[in-house]
Amino acid sequence: MSDLALSQAAPLAKSRGNSKTGLRIVQSFSILLIALVMISPLFMLLIASLKDDRFQILADMGSFRAFWVSEPTLSNYKEIANFSGELAYGRYLFNSLAILVVTVISGLIVNSMAGFVLAWGSLRGKAILLALVVALYVIPQESIIMPLVVMMSRAGLTDTFAVQILPWVASPLYVFLFYQFFAQLPKELYEAAEMDGASAFRIYRSIYMPLSLPALATVSILMGIESWNQYLWPTLVTQTDYARPIAVAIATFFGQDSIYWDRAMAASVLMMIPVLILYLAFQRWFVSSFVGSAVKG
Amino acid sequence: MTTLMGNRLLSALIASAALLATAGLAEAKTVIHMMHQGDPGWVKAYGDAARRFEEANPDVDVELIHAPHDAYNEKFSAAVMAKQLPDIMELDAPFLANYVWSGYLQPVKPLVDADLLEDMTESNISQGTYPIDKELYAIGLTDSSVVLYGNKKYLEAIGARIPKSVEDAWTREEFEGYLEKLSKLDGVKWPIDTFRGYGIKTEWITYAYGPLLESAGCDLIDRKTWTASGTLDGEACVKALTMMQDWVKKGWVVPTSSGTNQFYAEGQPAALAMGGHWFYAEAAAAMKDNIVVLPLPKIGEKGVSPNGTWIWGISATSENPEIAGKFLSFLLKDKEYREYAKTQSAYPGLKSFAADSPLYAEGGPLAVAFEQASKTAIARPPHPAYPTITSAFMQAVDKIFNGDDAQDALTAAAKKIDEDIEDNAGYPPFDEQQ
Repeated sequence: MSDLALSQAAPLAKSRGNSKTGLRIVQSFSILLIALVMISPLFMLLIASLKDDRFQILADMGSFRAFWVSEPTLSNYKEIANFSGELAYGRYLFNSLAILVVTVISGLIVNSMAGFVLAWGSLRGKAILLALVVALYVIPQESIIMPLVVMMSRAGLTDTFAVQILPWVASPLYVFLFYQFFAQLPKELYEAAEMDGASAFRIYRSIYMPLSLPALATVSILMGIESWNQYLWPTLVTQTDYARPIAVAIATFFGQDSIYWDRAMAASVLMMIPVLILYLAFQRWFVSSFVGSAVKG
Repeated sequence: MTTLMGNRLLSALIASAALLATAGLAEAKTVIHMMHQGDPGWVKAYGDAARRFEEANPDVDVELIHAPHDAYNEKFSAAVMAKQLPDIMELDAPFLANYVWSGYLQPVKPLVDADLLEDMTESNISQGTYPIDKELYAIGLTDSSVVLYGNKKYLEAIGARIPKSVEDAWTREEFEGYLEKLSKLDGVKWPIDTFRGYGIKTEWITYAYGPLLESAGCDLIDRKTWTASGTLDGEACVKALTMMQDWVKKGWVVPTSSGTNQFYAEGQPAALAMGGHWFYAEAAAAMKDNIVVLPLPKIGEKGVSPNGTWIWGISATSENPEIAGKFLSFLLKDKEYREYAKTQSAYPGLKSFAADSPLYAEGGPLAVAFEQASKTAIARPPHPAYPTITSAFMQAVDKIFNGDDAQDALTAAAKKIDEDIEDNAGYPPFDEQQ
């Protein structure tokens, strides 16, 4: 390369470098902007929960004062931390956690077993069963909710923890998700274990389940969020604070004539924390599994 | 050792007998269920009242079933389907006709204290009465109304006349003239907030806008023939809703997206607010002396205001209606329950409660709201098709405010209502009422 060519190439490389830096700045700025937009409602929620005047919270909404608190107080948290009486929010939080844990654990077992059988089991009419599972997925929960209320009531399960867990343990979406995941694993694994004399359950438990951490994480998060956010169903099937979850309790703050924004915000912050922890803990698997299985959230 | 064993055995036997006796007593208790909605304050007020009743009546156990306000109707439907209606239920007054027609309620007159019945205001009686047999099926401590709240500073700036009584209410010309002047006033972004932000999931549009339209000679349905076509899509209704649409088009009305706080939010961007009696507490807390309460304007010849709120009925399936009535009477007379209701600026539905509510007494800030109850209140159509009537009407208003043709939207709503009535064979005996 001649000196002339070198002298021309140097500014070109510099300009390419500049444009790359510019692109990175635009990218970073865009990401920051999106992050700000996403996080601002959560920040507003947190700020509002530290104000003790519900009328002031309402008056501040729609202006930048919604993002600022001059005299922060934990009085709303103290108020809702009461574990006794009609407003037992600690109890509601515990109820939600208990329902979530049992639903997720039993859901993982039931749905993964069903998915495994559909993927590797020697069932007759497996394809039809699979089609039925997919078909069931498109039926919205709301359309079956009233008959389900009657069934649960006749079974004597009203106002119990069981009524909030049992109907949602088996889910076509999660069965299909597990099926898809198991079906992608090499068939040789199954055949080799079978030749070694392992039972189907042993193969499921000792070989396929340990390889399914991303699927387990995805299903845990999706089921957890679904269970945590349940509102209509527990409203219909619970009567007292014995088994009522926190989502229903928060709705109590939205009354006929007045809305207790202060306490609703504090209770919402408390309700958000476990889901955030769950998401942060399983984030890596969650993202990889979503990308891998191309499931749309 | 044997004696010791014998003593222990005897003690255990006595303890078991005592336990069994206690269990027997517990079993002997009559249990009544009461289903209600309300925010935490009301939940506590009902809980405390139930406890006081149980102390005074140790043989009765009152079990409260609470549902959030927004999901109450769904909860009620679930209870109906599961055949688990409670003994006492709270219900929104305009739905009473539907519930009685469906056989869910029984008359309360023989079940509650006579002095309570005499204590009810006319408006309270009308909200709890079924038009077919003229029987009282529900009773409440409270009622409701809608008034105009004005920003004193802005109204003085445009030289608006401040009405002192219901008779003195603004006419349509005055009202629209003030809206126009306010729209040009510095500091005013919107002349009026009609609380579009409440949306169409609540009863607000039918409850609050209906009276304005009725004042203009319109109604949701012909209350003699019980048909909507020809009335809801008649000339008076089309003109009245076109008038309201015009306010929206001119940018005079706070849009849905701006929420429900523009009257007193920073800078006080809305000059007037057409709000329920409950709005006074939050607005007065922020605006102090800069708030004035006015009667609803007369759009036509006469002024009309809404009424009706959440009241108490006793279910037809109750196994203990007398005890349910006894508890209901206790609750409505309970001093502490009434004290709590007062702190919530509750609108009185009982004369004795009105006399004890300085907010609504003569000279009180909401006196004009109470005056409306006896002079201009008209109940929403007491017909079993009311759930369809309100839903169709609210959807039509929403479409009209979003730019649809008023005639088309109202004709579609009227058709939907008439179809529902036809599908139910006229809801007999309402079809014979003509």
